[in-house]
Formats: sequence, C-alpha cells, structure tokens
Amino acid sequence: MTITRINIGPIHPSTHGVLRLVADIDGDTIVRVEPHIGFLHRGVEKLAETRMYMQNPPYMEKLDYLAPMSYDEAYVAAVEKAMGIEVKERAMYIRVILLELQRIASHLFFIGTIGNDLGQMFTLFMWAYMDRDMVIDLLEEATGSRMFYVNMRLGGVVRDLPPDFEARTLEKLNYLQKRMGEYESFIEKNPVFGERMKGVGVLSSEKALDLGVTGPVLRASGIEYDVRKNSPYYVYDKLHFEIKILTKGDNFARYKIRLLEIKESIRLVREAFKRIPEGDALGMPVKLRSPATKEKVAVISREVPKGECMMYLVADDQKPYRLSIRSPNFINLMSISHLAQGVRTADLFATLGTLDLVMGCVDR
Amino acid sequence: MKIDRSDLINRVREMKASGYTYLVKITAVDYKDHVDALYFLRDISKGNDAILEISLDPKDLWVPTIIKEHTSADWYEREMSEMFDIEIKNRGAPRLLLEKWDGKSGPLRKSFAWGEDYIK
Repeated sequence: MTITRINIGPIHPSTHGVLRLVADIDGDTIVRVEPHIGFLHRGVEKLAETRMYMQNPPYMEKLDYLAPMSYDEAYVAAVEKAMGIEVKERAMYIRVILLELQRIASHLFFIGTIGNDLGQMFTLFMWAYMDRDMVIDLLEEATGSRMFYVNMRLGGVVRDLPPDFEARTLEKLNYLQKRMGEYESFIEKNPVFGERMKGVGVLSSEKALDLGVTGPVLRASGIEYDVRKNSPYYVYDKLHFEIKILTKGDNFARYKIRLLEIKESIRLVREAFKRIPEGDALGMPVKLRSPATKEKVAVISREVPKGECMMYLVADDQKPYRLSIRSPNFINLMSISHLAQGVRTADLFATLGTLDLVMGCVDR
Repeated sequence: MKIDRSDLINRVREMKASGYTYLVKITAVDYKDHVDALYFLRDISKGNDAILEISLDPKDLWVPTIIKEHTSADWYEREMSEMFDIEIKNRGAPRLLLEKWDGKSGPLRKSFAWGEDYIK
C-alpha cells in the first residue's frame, strides 16, 4: 500500500466558499481526509456582542447566503424570546410561508450543484437555477430584496404580503410540483448518477448520531428528527406535513431526502395560505433603543434548510452579551472524514456535495 | 444542570446510557469573574434536551475531553478551546481548527483586545 497525500483547495467548486481538504489516497481510494476550515472566519459571534440587537440580523443573513432568511429569523426569534415578545398570528404564518419558500430555494440550489459535482455540467444546474429564480422572484415580491432580505422585525415582519401574492405563489408551486417529477426522472434514470450516488458515502444511523450530523443528512440515515415536528414553533403544529426519512444513508439518500422535502415544503406553503388569518403582521419599527430584555438566557432551535440551527443568546440591556450559533454546516462537514473513507477520489466531491455546505456558516 | 468538571465524563456517560445520545453543541460564555462551559445534550427519541454547565475559574481554565463518549465533540471542543483559551485535557494538541489571532487565542473572551483597544 502506497499512500499519497494530496491537497485539495483552499477552494473547490464543490463547496460554496473556501475549504481545503488534505486527502491520503491509496491508488484511487481515499484512506483519510481532513478538512481544514477557518478561511471565512469573520468572528460573527464577537461582532454580535458589539451591535445593538436589531443591528445584527444583516450579519446573521451572511452566515448562509443560500438561506439568509432562516438565520435572520432564528436570531430575531432568540431576541424575541429574551424580550418576551409575542409574534402576531398573521406574522407567524407569513414567516412560515417565507421560510418554506427559502427552504425550497436552498434545496433547489443543492439539486443543481450536485449535478456539477458529478460532472453533469450544466443542464441540471440551469434547470434548478431557473426554478430557484422563480422562488427568489416570490421572495423579492414579498420582501423587496432578492438575496439578503432582513425581513424580520420584533413581533412580526417588515411588510405584509403583497396583493395577489397567494395566487402567484400557488401557480408557481403547481409548476414546481410537476417539475419535481422531471428532476426525479432526469437524475434517477441516469446511470452515472446511480453509480456515484448509490451505496457511496454511507452513514449508518448509529454513526450519524455519534458524529452529531443534523438536518437532511441525519434524516437520510434513518433518524426521525426535525425541529419543526419535535419542538414545533410558530404554527408548524397546526399544519400537516411529514418528516421524510430514508434509511440507506448514502449519497443518493441525501439527495433524495432534499427532493422529498421540497415537496413537503410546497404542501406546507399551500396549507399555510389556506389558514392564514387577516390582521396586522407588522413588527416593531427598529428604534435606537429596543425593549428591555426579560430573560437572561434565550435558547432557540430552528430547522433551517441545512439542519438544526441553535441560537444561544445571553442577553444584556441593549446588546447580546454572548451569542453562540450552532451551525448545521459546521458539524455536517466534520462527518466527511468518516464518509469519505474508502470512496474513490472522484466520489469524494460527490460525497462532499451531498452535505450541501455553505462555508460562511461553517466558519462564522 | 450545574456540575463540576471532575464529574463531566461520568455524567455524560450516564446520560448517554439513559438516552441522551446526541451532542448538540459545546460552547462557553465568559462572565469575566468566571467562564461557563456548556454542553447541550439531547435524547432524540423523546425530544428532551439537557444542558450541563461547568463553572470555571478564569485562572484555571480546563475541561476534560468527552471525545470518547461523543465523536462530535471533536470540533466543538477545539473551537471552544481556541475561542475561549480553555485547555481540553487528555486529547493531545490537535491542529488549530479556525485560526490564531495575531498569535493570541481566546477572541471570544471579554478581555480580548480588539477594535480600538487592539490598535492602541
């Protein structure tokens, strides 16, 4: 056995950001991989301690630029909990609708880029990007921005949904639902996808728990845990949806689970529109002084597209004393050392791709 | 739940045996007069969460590693060690995970000079 050490990175198209992998290979087989992170470490948690409460959401959005609203919402929810602020009912529905649209957009980006990781450039990427753009158009309509929304305010949202938003959203979701079938047949009937995805990068349920992976990666290994179901927030307990579980834990399962989750998110948005009440949804305007905090510590967990994001906020008068962010990408990336053992070098990137990483969120 | 650092490993083992098999996060908070190391554990099947809290003297900052109990502690411990200058005992000297700030560690400590203080 001759071990060769190769350096990959510090940038690779398989990651949305900067990552370096040091891999030991025997012939074409990976023996050991060690990820080197920290290239995008900005010290967001430290920065948060120096900003007033409502100056922080734009920083939170930059954690994961494919699902910015999810992190914005998680942070604002932690501040609301510390201040004891109730979210208006209509605003809860609006948040759920927008967060699920954000999840669809994030998962579509994953489906597009996994094609690139497997050398299938660029048909799938263009398909998924086109469809994602449609969802981004909806988010732009609702928030006024295409990428960084900063749409959450204490107790509500910045603006109510525009007129006829429901009709336009449902029309686009109907189209998207049909497209899911096309994605499935395009990807799953392709022999190259099958060979490089099925049975590759297997993560057993015991190992998934031991490695602490989260979100779709955990559910693809057969563990039934979704914060929206297990610790429901907003109106998720009133809406009907299933936690999708797959048991094989391989690359294919990690792709498929996200496709299934898009379908569930479409279902959630449809139902939320049926139940959304009339009324006021606007949150408090951002002022120089925020309301006083009532609780010293606020812990919030949210199911963001990449997994569970936990915000641990120690509150001070007008600024966070300490904000600790549990990044789902951080812990999912750690599992690559285990997942890549024994796979072929080319499949390392397929395996890495199925973790759906955003390095801005890993490094923080 | 507040515990002493000497009880950490046993407590984590006991909790793991009783269903808390998932480590959610390890982090710390610097309260100036003491530093709290926090261990978030979860019983996935029941959906119960527990927090183990260890209060540390800023002049004697160390905790034992729990990497044998939870592999996921690896990066969390290293991150906490670098960000708070807390030594993790019994796990050697792993490679630096994030980065060193001008040769100093512990940027999330309240005493860490940065911004205008750093320029001075």
